[in-house]
Amino acid sequence: MRRYYLSKLCQALVTISLVVLVVFALLRFMPTTGYFSKEEYREMDEVARNAYLRSLGVLDPTLVQLKNFLAKLFRGDLGRSMTLYPKSRIQDILRDKIKYSVMFNAFSWVVSAVIGMPLGIAMAKNKGGFVDSAGTAYVVAVRSIPSIIIHFFVQVYLSKWLGLPMLFKMNQPASWILPTISLSLGSIAGYAIWLRRYIVDEENKDYIKFARVKGFSQNYIMVRHVFRNAIVPIAINFPSDLLMLISGSLVIEGLYSIPGMGGILIKSIQAMDNNLVQILVLLFSTLSVFGVFLGDIFVSFVDPRIKLQDKED
Amino acid sequence: MKRKLASLMVTILLLSVVLSGCGGKTPAGPEVSYWDEYKSTFSSGITTLNPFTLPGTSYYTFIANIIDGLVETDVYARFVPALAERWETNEDTTVWTFYLRKGQYWVDSTGNKTQWEITAQDFVDSLKYVADPANGAKNVSTILGVVKGLRAYYDDLADIDEGIDIGKTRDEVVAAFEETVGVKALNDYTLQYTLSGPTPYFLSYATLELFLPIEKEFMEQVGEDFGTNKESLLYCGGYYISHWERDKQIIMTKNEHYWDKDKITLKSLNFEAVADGISSVELFQRGQIATTSLTSEELASIKSTEWEDYVYLSDKTLTTYWFTFNFKSKNPEFQTAIQNLNFRKAIYAAIDRVTLSAIWEPENPEFFCRYTLLPEGCMFDENGRDYTDYPGLIEYKNGNPFQPEKAREYMETAIAELCDAEGNIKGVVPGTKVDMLPIEEFTVDGKLPIDILYTSGSSETEMKKALLVKEMLTTYLGEENVNVILGFSRNSFTNEVWALGNWDLVDDSYGFRFGDPSANLNRITTDGSLNDSQYEVPEFDALVEKANRIYTINERYAAFAEAEKWMLDNAMIIPYMTGGGSYRMTRVVPYTTPQGYFGMAGYKFKGAKIQDKPVTKEQHAQLKAEYEEALRALSGN
Repeated sequence: MRRYYLSKLCQALVTISLVVLVVFALLRFMPTTGYFSKEEYREMDEVARNAYLRSLGVLDPTLVQLKNFLAKLFRGDLGRSMTLYPKSRIQDILRDKIKYSVMFNAFSWVVSAVIGMPLGIAMAKNKGGFVDSAGTAYVVAVRSIPSIIIHFFVQVYLSKWLGLPMLFKMNQPASWILPTISLSLGSIAGYAIWLRRYIVDEENKDYIKFARVKGFSQNYIMVRHVFRNAIVPIAINFPSDLLMLISGSLVIEGLYSIPGMGGILIKSIQAMDNNLVQILVLLFSTLSVFGVFLGDIFVSFVDPRIKLQDKED
Repeated sequence: MKRKLASLMVTILLLSVVLSGCGGKTPAGPEVSYWDEYKSTFSSGITTLNPFTLPGTSYYTFIANIIDGLVETDVYARFVPALAERWETNEDTTVWTFYLRKGQYWVDSTGNKTQWEITAQDFVDSLKYVADPANGAKNVSTILGVVKGLRAYYDDLADIDEGIDIGKTRDEVVAAFEETVGVKALNDYTLQYTLSGPTPYFLSYATLELFLPIEKEFMEQVGEDFGTNKESLLYCGGYYISHWERDKQIIMTKNEHYWDKDKITLKSLNFEAVADGISSVELFQRGQIATTSLTSEELASIKSTEWEDYVYLSDKTLTTYWFTFNFKSKNPEFQTAIQNLNFRKAIYAAIDRVTLSAIWEPENPEFFCRYTLLPEGCMFDENGRDYTDYPGLIEYKNGNPFQPEKAREYMETAIAELCDAEGNIKGVVPGTKVDMLPIEEFTVDGKLPIDILYTSGSSETEMKKALLVKEMLTTYLGEENVNVILGFSRNSFTNEVWALGNWDLVDDSYGFRFGDPSANLNRITTDGSLNDSQYEVPEFDALVEKANRIYTINERYAAFAEAEKWMLDNAMIIPYMTGGGSYRMTRVVPYTTPQGYFGMAGYKFKGAKIQDKPVTKEQHAQLKAEYEEALRALSGN
């Protein structure tokens, strides 16, 4: 048991260090001309360009930069952004932004679980019936229409019909509704269709048929056997969903002007903001690796078939 | 109670009728009501407000309103006092002395006066800050050559940081700043700049962000955080930042301690992030913001609605677009041909500028064509005469150089000079391989047609332009004479094209930084920083050199005009278009705010009036006519 956790933990740490090191090295291969606009590049002479690069700290040898980065990191200092938010403390940037993404992702998570799971169960119970067809139609529509179009309709038309504000404002809770709807549409469909599928799979298994023959009530079978087994493939993602609450949606945050984490990684790569990219990569890779790790552990509690403990433990 | 209230209201109503009657001429139309707040949007976040390391000129909108410089401009773009009450300069304009307003204090992000007074030392400290390469003020290159000793100071520090031993330590160099660099606080309220050479146009530099003051003690307190949030800045402009939420909103509130606070008409300036342009037009129509720009699609969508009447075209900018040739091209056919004056003139006459300008502005393309290298409407001599109206240039300014018949004639002459009877280009070895990878690779045959590689960026409009230029050259010069090869850079134009010289013909654009022809003419000399063409033009160099040493404005302009004319006569560079010209709608009454072309001059909201109803075309035209009338009256013509 302990050995299992330890080996998983080591794997996780190795993965994270490799990702961070590779990204760190790759960033240093980018040509430094990217730090200047076309006119700046020509207006500044060699001396001025070098001086500017030095002030950014990109002229130091890669190993020195790595050493500085790690030393700071262990002191709990995330450093300062270079070009995307010049000189701002990265911890301030993240603190400002993470709260918005977490807020909306949490809303959407709750909304989609509360609507999506019952929908999936209802579809499975009612296989081939009206609810099932309607649900399938919804899922197909959400999955096949490009999401940007759906978001656009939600923003423009729903805001008109319901009289809701188009742009997000923190002190105006009515403006939180549309972004939450936009964020939830897709994941409701996800929860519904997967849960339906797992339940249907499970219901066709022999032990369920046997239970039915034994005369257990349908509800007892559903709760006691079917749901508990069907939820496993979904439950394995819970921990990583929880951790990844901090990653924002590029499109939706942009549309509603939510100053969250959406697109910050892309923007920082475009701005060649090495410091910020490193921290973000470290953060996201740690969270996703640990998400998987925690998922494994979490499942061992949910899934009746998995026991990590040895008998004598 | 009710009755009392009613009678009170009646009284107020009557009073207001009487009072508005006193206004004299009351037009029949509806009352114009004004906003007391400017509301606008920004699309990309405000990332830093350190005035010396601004990522772009769009940030001037913020900085110009929160920190005052020595001088500012009025609605007629004339320099007027700001933090400096008055100024004077010596005979040859090498020494400029500014006398500061007394009793001006820095204000913090709550709008309260701090203990720090704005003194001459604040300006010395700020120059010291930007002159230190470690602080990463990119724009400092613009002024390194202007203030005496600044370049040497900067280079010394850069060398030391590079690890080169110059016999002095960093601390020694920094300590000697005030002796070596030409800026001095004679006393608390007297500031003196000593310049590298006579600079009659120094005031247009003084509006740059690089000459803004800073409070050293405060800087030391906040350290590296300077300018990263509202608390880590001090303010001395018409507004201070009262709210700054990263990537979301920024609110500037009127500074009650501002020296000119009576002219601050708006109580706050409010900027909010909006992701795409659609919502900004939508917000404008809903009356939530004061101005918006329109893309051509948005313009089409409001055509023949009531909103059409509010659309106007923003003014052209000082930026000039031009074509340049590669005189040291790796392509031997072009390299040989381009040395020939008639060949250059042929290309010069074959480019239809109006058609190119129509890519951006189909309705009124002529308006955005520019046939001189330097912009019009920003440099005037004592008599109010525009630099581009000087003899030699005015002919270029007013005549359309696109002349297809002439182009053909020049081409014939050029071919007669360049080729032998069989159409072999003299001096070109047939079968030479031209390696311009990653752009293009081809083999030249040493015969007509002459191969020309036109390298362009890969945006949609740039590609459109490239196709048009190809069409023009082949049509007007003859398919049998020129063969235009189009090449497109994939990622970085700098890396793939400029650095490797992978081009024969290229399109480029340049801004214009300060109010003197030398701003750009000095940069296109043989050794100039914009001479990517690698031409050698000793005649032009000599003309510029001569002009640089003349300090009476009209003689100076005449001399520069002569130099510029030489460049155009010899078709070394082909100017064709101005920057600017986007469609906009606005509620800000035109010409109520300070105008200006250089530095932060045109960005202040001082005196702004924002009317509830958008400005119509008619109102715009009327105000423009009145404004131009007033300008003419001022210049005495």
